[in-house]
Amino acid sequence: MGNWERLVWNQRDVLLAGLGVTIEVCAIAFAAAILGGLLLCLTRLYVAPLRPVAIFLIEFFRDTPIFVQLMWVAYVWPEVFGFPNTFFNAGWLALGLQSSGYLAETFRAGIEAVPPGQRDAAFSAGMSQTQTFSRIVMPQVVLSSAPSIVNQFTVIVKSSTLISVITVPDLMSQSQKLVNVWYEPIEILTATAALYIAFVFLISLAGKYLADRLRHRYGLAAS
Amino acid sequence: MSDALKQSLDLSMFWEYRAILLQGLIFNALVFLCAASVALSVGLGAALMRINRFWPMRWIGTLHVEVFRNAPDYIMLVWVHFVLPLLIGMLIRRRVEFHPFVSAVIALGFVYSGYFAEAFRAGIQAIPQGNLDAGRAFGMSERLILWRITLPQVVRRMLPEALNLFISMFKATTIVSLIAVPDLMYNVSMVIAQEMRPLPLYTGAALTYFLIIFLLSVGVRHFSERWRRKILA
Amino acid sequence: MSDVPSIRIADIHKSFGPLEVLRGVSFDVHRGAVVSVIGASGSGKSTLLRCVNHLEPPDSGEIYIDGEPLGSRVDARGQRKPRSLAEINAMRRELGVVFQQFNLWPHMTVLGNVIEAPIRVRKLPRKEAIAYGEECLRRVKLIDKAGEYPARLSGGQQQRAAIARALAMRPKAMLFDEATSSLDPELKDEVLGVMRELAADGTTMIVVTHEMSFAREVSDRVIFLHEGRIEEEGPPADIFGAPKSERLRQFLSKYRK
Repeated sequence: MGNWERLVWNQRDVLLAGLGVTIEVCAIAFAAAILGGLLLCLTRLYVAPLRPVAIFLIEFFRDTPIFVQLMWVAYVWPEVFGFPNTFFNAGWLALGLQSSGYLAETFRAGIEAVPPGQRDAAFSAGMSQTQTFSRIVMPQVVLSSAPSIVNQFTVIVKSSTLISVITVPDLMSQSQKLVNVWYEPIEILTATAALYIAFVFLISLAGKYLADRLRHRYGLAAS
Repeated sequence: MSDALKQSLDLSMFWEYRAILLQGLIFNALVFLCAASVALSVGLGAALMRINRFWPMRWIGTLHVEVFRNAPDYIMLVWVHFVLPLLIGMLIRRRVEFHPFVSAVIALGFVYSGYFAEAFRAGIQAIPQGNLDAGRAFGMSERLILWRITLPQVVRRMLPEALNLFISMFKATTIVSLIAVPDLMYNVSMVIAQEMRPLPLYTGAALTYFLIIFLLSVGVRHFSERWRRKILA
Repeated sequence: MSDVPSIRIADIHKSFGPLEVLRGVSFDVHRGAVVSVIGASGSGKSTLLRCVNHLEPPDSGEIYIDGEPLGSRVDARGQRKPRSLAEINAMRRELGVVFQQFNLWPHMTVLGNVIEAPIRVRKLPRKEAIAYGEECLRRVKLIDKAGEYPARLSGGQQQRAAIARALAMRPKAMLFDEATSSLDPELKDEVLGVMRELAADGTTMIVVTHEMSFAREVSDRVIFLHEGRIEEEGPPADIFGAPKSERLRQFLSKYRK
């Protein structure tokens, strides 16, 4: 089918531009998710008066379906909170909030999995709470949850296809534009699907490789 | 700002339309049930192919899993609804169209079959070899061993994980509104188009889903705790 | 006593990759006889037993059950053809196997384990299978645990359940693969006791074991395996009382207290 060349290859700039936006949104969302997840997790574990709030938020962000969350953040939040002001921001914010719920739980499991003996050893050596946490506990948490964190990134990428609905010009939205222009969905949509699948596949491969290396080096069970 | 906040928390509008919204929710449930059946059966098939003796079968099974596990739900939904009918139409030289419900079931069913296949495979390979040896020693055929020894144990072990996958799947059904399946979100958008008041409706939808999924998750968590203790006694 | 041995093991060779585990093992087991196989770890004892029912098909040599070759058959034209898995399965019914790791199926009760193969493989009606299954459980003194799941039983009880499970198929012969090696010392006796009773009842048995007292007191014949070959064989009195080969003497010296 010469159609492939005409419809896909010749339009690669359009598609790649979309892919660029997708990567941008996902990267920002990922960073937000890690920060948010960390914040929620630490609040839940160590800030007693705010515990119920943290737990509620974690559950809320995790349990609400991403599409519903996206529409809610994109259309309700600007009216109520004044933010997000653009759909691009709504996109990464919604994706980030959803994943922060999952990561908060991942971090919590990681923290609780660090053997108490580690803390005992650190305190006995005279280290403070903060030092123990940042030098002993958190590094282990990061290492043991790395595979889950990478996995969450693939979730973000897969969910990002929905931001096309709120008119963010990502890969999905660009390919839909092309279909509307050319009225020939087969090659364009198949190529788009293949692109997403390949992208996510590569990320998960990298995650597996990372998990193997970590297991090898540190003997930590990957979660 | 507080005016908007008040508006969005004023769920009387949501309540007013509860009948039609409930209908939508039922559609979500229907899509979920059908897609779950597809996901389970196709997933089991793919898992069995992955551990087959012949390498082409293993290869196909692995391909299936990797393609569907890594595919975003939405693009699969769009592809099944718009591209697949055209491909089939080309094959049988007739115009083919999928009802959106059918597309939704196929798309979600196949995407989640990838996840279920992995869960099944891990469960199957975790069965101790000795169990199978005993079966063979008694002259049981491989098929008998699979259905009487392996799969019952796999189901027991994988039940918590399967339940979590089901919850994910139910959450995923929210996207079917995008191909005009009249689910909750679709009806919400209809009402918004009519009433021009998105705030209470989107908020209401978020709260509704949150409550449902939250209750389900808590239930599954408790159940899984007790189940794991019972199974791994 | 029939002429044809219940089990004939004929020149079995088996290698795993470059490692030759069995280098030509042959012996007969007649009906009602108890043959013990002893030897050091790695001598090929377990592999030999697994070859007898084709859990591991031998590389060469043949197993004959009541005169019928297990791995191959002779067709109408007199040609030798390998047996299909279905045929091998059919012949496996006649051999009861008790494993070192018990291998009870954890998702079925004890009785469930015992009646599974009779119902599914021998196609017995459920009532009949249950009736005979309970009889077997009585024989191993485990009838009161019939409704329990294996996880709730001690090691000795699990192994006795496994013996009942094998007996329920009414096999021509019983194969024991180090049946007591996984058990704590206090629990070994209850299983060995059952095995002694089976022997006394005239069951044809091949017993791979480390329990020298059992081998000496219960067997009709003892076979000493060394590095995949039969180093020495004979009645227990000879093997334990007057060992001829140096290796056998060394092996036995480890068990003398």
